Amino acid sequence: MFVSVMVALCAIATSFAQDAASNATPAAAGSTPAAAADVEALRQQVQALTAMVQQLQEQVKQQQSGSAAAAALPQSSEPPPATTDAAPSAAPASAPALFPTTDSAVVASAPSSANAPPSPSVDANGTPNSFPTSDDAVTASGGGASSTAGAALTEPIPIAGSTGGSKTYMNISFDGMFVLAGSSARDLYNVEVGDHDPQQRGFNARNAEIALDGAVDPFFEGFANIVLKLDNDNRTEIELEEAFLQTTSLPFGLQVKAGQFFAPFGRINPTHPHTWDFADAPLVHGLLLGPDGLRGVGAQVAWTLPVPWYSQFLVAAQNGRGGTGYSFRNPGDDGVFYGRLTKDRELRGLEDFVWIPRWENSFNPSETQTVLGGLSGAFGSNDTGANTRTQIYGADLLYKWKSAHAEGGFPFVKWQTEGMYRRFEAGRGVDLTFPVAETFHDWGMYSQVMWGFKKGWVAGIRGDYLHMTDSEFTDDDVRQTRSRISADLTWFPTEFSKLRLQYNHDFMEANTFLAGRDVDSVFLQFEFILGAHGAHKF
Amino acid sequence: MKKLIRVLAVTLFGLTAMAAEAKLNVVTTLPDLGALAREIGGDKVDVTTMAKPTEDPHFVDARPSFVVQLRSADVLIDGGAELEVGWLPPLLQNARNPKLEVGQPGRVQASQSVRLMNVPTNVTRAAGDVHALGNPHFAIDPIIAKTIAQHIAQSFSAVDAPNSAAYDANYKKFEAAINAKLQQWGAAMLPFKGQHVVAYHDSWPYFAHRFGIEIDIFLEPKPGIPPSPAHLAEVIEQIKAQKIKAIIVEPFHDRKIAEKVASASGAKVVDFAQYPGGLPGTDTYIQLIDKLVANLSAALK
Repeated sequence: MFVSVMVALCAIATSFAQDAASNATPAAAGSTPAAAADVEALRQQVQALTAMVQQLQEQVKQQQSGSAAAAALPQSSEPPPATTDAAPSAAPASAPALFPTTDSAVVASAPSSANAPPSPSVDANGTPNSFPTSDDAVTASGGGASSTAGAALTEPIPIAGSTGGSKTYMNISFDGMFVLAGSSARDLYNVEVGDHDPQQRGFNARNAEIALDGAVDPFFEGFANIVLKLDNDNRTEIELEEAFLQTTSLPFGLQVKAGQFFAPFGRINPTHPHTWDFADAPLVHGLLLGPDGLRGVGAQVAWTLPVPWYSQFLVAAQNGRGGTGYSFRNPGDDGVFYGRLTKDRELRGLEDFVWIPRWENSFNPSETQTVLGGLSGAFGSNDTGANTRTQIYGADLLYKWKSAHAEGGFPFVKWQTEGMYRRFEAGRGVDLTFPVAETFHDWGMYSQVMWGFKKGWVAGIRGDYLHMTDSEFTDDDVRQTRSRISADLTWFPTEFSKLRLQYNHDFMEANTFLAGRDVDSVFLQFEFILGAHGAHKF
Repeated sequence: MKKLIRVLAVTLFGLTAMAAEAKLNVVTTLPDLGALAREIGGDKVDVTTMAKPTEDPHFVDARPSFVVQLRSADVLIDGGAELEVGWLPPLLQNARNPKLEVGQPGRVQASQSVRLMNVPTNVTRAAGDVHALGNPHFAIDPIIAKTIAQHIAQSFSAVDAPNSAAYDANYKKFEAAINAKLQQWGAAMLPFKGQHVVAYHDSWPYFAHRFGIEIDIFLEPKPGIPPSPAHLAEVIEQIKAQKIKAIIVEPFHDRKIAEKVASASGAKVVDFAQYPGGLPGTDTYIQLIDKLVANLSAALK
């Protein structure tokens, strides 16, 4: 009893002393704006003091009732288990010291506070009837309080390490992806269609990515992806792949996104290469949307429809200029695209943006199956003529089965398929220098099945087809009708690393200008992720 | 056309109004939190749970249908402590429901009031699938479950004030039931105090601590890393040397591996589950603990 009082008095004295010492101008505090914090601190101290007085009263009662005291002790608390790290620096809530006079986080053998004596362990309590029903070592509120009223809900109980918050303002991660490639083609860069795909025989480092994300303020979240890649001569290229902010609290299921971002077209396009199921991009993705996919600076509105199933409508507008707007206002390499001299022109009106609408729906055929389907479009101008337009239409479907007894997300079967059609008006180029204007009707699809047959192991097959309109005038080595079959086997030692072996067989058909050929390629991909634990979208 | 739109609008409005008068719409990430929410909410709430009781809670698919559930939820109860970090954030981003933001009465993070065990002093993924904030499988401790239930009751009362007396009464009932049951469970486990038990994954420190047993040998060499033959051989030696009687496995673990170890070492495989519904006949939280205590004490005898 006396010990408790002494400890309490010490605590009070210490806290006031520290308070005074830490506050240079205590007298003036009340009149300055900074006072709010002081008042808050004082308020908390008073609350803590009140709680302590109540506890002391409790203890007096208990001790007065003689033998009851002995029974009360094991009820009140027990020392934290040996395995529990003492890092949570706050004192147990049952002993809210005014200002902590001890800190078990920094002192190995902190003297026990008045209210938390080193009590016998659970089982030493003897008879089963006295099995404790509360334990301050594990819960902050003791679990013994029989009322639910009173405690402020929005006020988290301050135990370090359990509030679920991180101590930084953003998540940072780094993803390094490398491929060792072998191929029967000497010009692998002509066979592989994506900018992050292997580009040469031997080692490739086409995607080392720094990802940042976090809450900007109560209204926005921010994301950034900065990609570093090495070209075939080992020179570093940097690209700002994505950098955008997104609203968090608009009403009516609305969300606005603005900045540099992937267009919401289909399934592969809005995702980063390290989440792909194969080491390279599908043909339709690389040759219709573009080697970098379709992305750019712009804005997007998403609306979740108020229906009982998942249904979302998105529409984005982007500049669509340059290589990342490949089929749109893209002047091409050295000012030539599809054989035409292009004009890299400024925006003339809203019709020169790329407009990307998408509607996606999802339902669950059963508890273990999920289906997600979408229709997308991309409409805008291109640079091959004064008023030439491009339209791309896409449809995508994803089916996934995952076992009800899945461990680490395995086993599963995932079938994903995407089809695209592009109508491309190729004009006569600058000053009508090209002999004809043509309209290309290019279309294709890919379909892939992934089978996660064992924890950490995924086998997959993919079929690809792309039809390019043959032209007697347009000599361009990417306008070749072609198909591909691929098979791969991926091992994820953990979710932060992977090793993938992939085989591709490419059939490239002859056209007016190009000879047909077959290419065999083998890729060994390896990847690691450092830093924040990324969440997986469906 | 105009008429059609008007009819649609009225219907939608009507549905919304009906929903508003109907039961409190509660979504929980994990089945144990769902069971606690049912105890407290009774017939005043509708509870839907995202993770299945038989699947690994670390890797749940962020199915789009969950977005729909979250969009219309009044209360979200999640475990916190990074257990759902791989799938909950994108769902919340997509659901855009301000009622569920951390700090709102409609959001209960179960870990909020819990002193987590096994907080790593040095966070490195070389140690396997570590939880920087501590072991998140805490609701299996009945004393902690009471505290979570109390938070749930506070949340329900704040969001649905007219029914607060019912929530309070349900909480008191649950608390009394757990207190009474703890005596039974404690008595059943008392003879095995200090005994060692092998587990597939380190999900059980809170259960072990509560009932005075030691669950400190695992079939996984490190959390999340599949068992290797070399490690299993070591475990078999330990089981033999310490005369350990039980290996506990969860519904999503490879039971065959545990059975091999059991037959090589003389221990028994015991079915365990963290979540109500994970074992047959365990629809409520109390039934689950009943089952765990019964299964384990039978094996340790």
